[in-house]
Amino acid sequence: MKVLFAVLWKDLVCEWRSRDRIVAMGVFALLVVVIFHFALPSGTGSQIADNAPGLLWVAFVFSALLGLGRSFAQEVENDAISALALAPTERGFVFLGKALANFLLIGAVQAMTATAFALVFDLSLSEVALPLAAVTALGTLGIASVGTLIAAMAVRTRYGEVLMPILLLPTLVPILVGAVEGTQGVLSDGALPLAAVQLLVVVDVTYLIVSFLGFEYVLDE
Amino acid sequence: MSIESEALASRAFAGRLEAVARPLGWALLLLTGVYAWAVASAPVDSVQGEIQKILYVHPPLAYGAYLGFVVTAVGGALYLRSGSENWDRMAIAGAEVGLLFCTLMMITGPIWARGTWGQWWSWDPRLTVTLLLWFIYLAYRMLRAFGEPGPRTARFAAVYGLVGVLLIPLNYFVIQLFGSRGIHPENLERGSLGDGMGWPFLAGNLVLGLGFAFLFLRRWQLENLRAATDAGEL
Repeated sequence: MKVLFAVLWKDLVCEWRSRDRIVAMGVFALLVVVIFHFALPSGTGSQIADNAPGLLWVAFVFSALLGLGRSFAQEVENDAISALALAPTERGFVFLGKALANFLLIGAVQAMTATAFALVFDLSLSEVALPLAAVTALGTLGIASVGTLIAAMAVRTRYGEVLMPILLLPTLVPILVGAVEGTQGVLSDGALPLAAVQLLVVVDVTYLIVSFLGFEYVLDE
Repeated sequence: MSIESEALASRAFAGRLEAVARPLGWALLLLTGVYAWAVASAPVDSVQGEIQKILYVHPPLAYGAYLGFVVTAVGGALYLRSGSENWDRMAIAGAEVGLLFCTLMMITGPIWARGTWGQWWSWDPRLTVTLLLWFIYLAYRMLRAFGEPGPRTARFAAVYGLVGVLLIPLNYFVIQLFGSRGIHPENLERGSLGDGMGWPFLAGNLVLGLGFAFLFLRRWQLENLRAATDAGEL
């Protein structure tokens, strides 16, 4: 547990001091939102509002990919990753620290993206902010867990940046289905749809367990 | 184990696989002849016409595609547990033969769909799950190809293979719940095939099942021979 918080704290402090990833992810997410405007030019308001859940999650997933891909880059630079592997505990706790840091980082970017999305496409998300945040957090937990596991592999592979989305996106399908379904429910009647929440919880728990166990074999000296 | 004894062990194991694969290959050759005859002489479907004969190829390919991934995951899990490279070689073989079967299924499926459903592709649950399986196979293969050969890549691939095999039931469940309704026939019951179609279908399952086993054993053998050669025994 101590390792978990140490890794989490270290990642957050590093991010706070450099602000590299959050700035890159934020700018990227905003650009994706702008791209939507040009990709769907005819249907200015309503068409984008109808597809808002899907579009939002496209922006969320792509900005998350960007951030996750870099989450082990600083560890590789001075071979700090070997030191992490030597932490005197189960490596799963290193994973949890890393994943939690990613979760918070992605969440911050998502809050900003959703705000910008609501502003420029004239959606009122503020009334449903709480259930929307809940469903987004559930989806992001799954993305951060399996994403952290795969990022740790990709960073030590040739063409890791290219491989990362190819490895990660197929695993995100169940999360995306649940998250988009849940967001749709929240936006249309302001309540959390139970089926989507159940699905997201099942997927999150599965991915957390698998990643916790799998991390043991992914990190090495 | 020293490098030399490792090379010898790999070579010996390849020899044992050879001993199984060779007679299997001959049996397969004979059976393929019977199979071709059975399919050619099977009655033509009164509704679908000739194209219905894809039945004798398509579902058996699907079993191979799924079996391949199970072999990959089991091989990966055993490798992680024991650290024995031979399990990793088994996983490589399972993934490659599975990818081949999956690809062939993805080719025969749309041909049949175009002929009977009138469209190449539909987002039917089973199609979608299989498409995702195919992408996971490809990603697995790319992970292998982009990683440096060695224990690290083997471990990465094993972990990814296990995530992938979990995704099959998960995706299926998800898409059944939230996706579009299926147009694939539900699991065939005994007697749901027309007269004279059972035998060729059985032959198809047998031949493609044996074909899977044959290719898998040969691929595993190849990987062992490669290991023996890499270890310096020529």
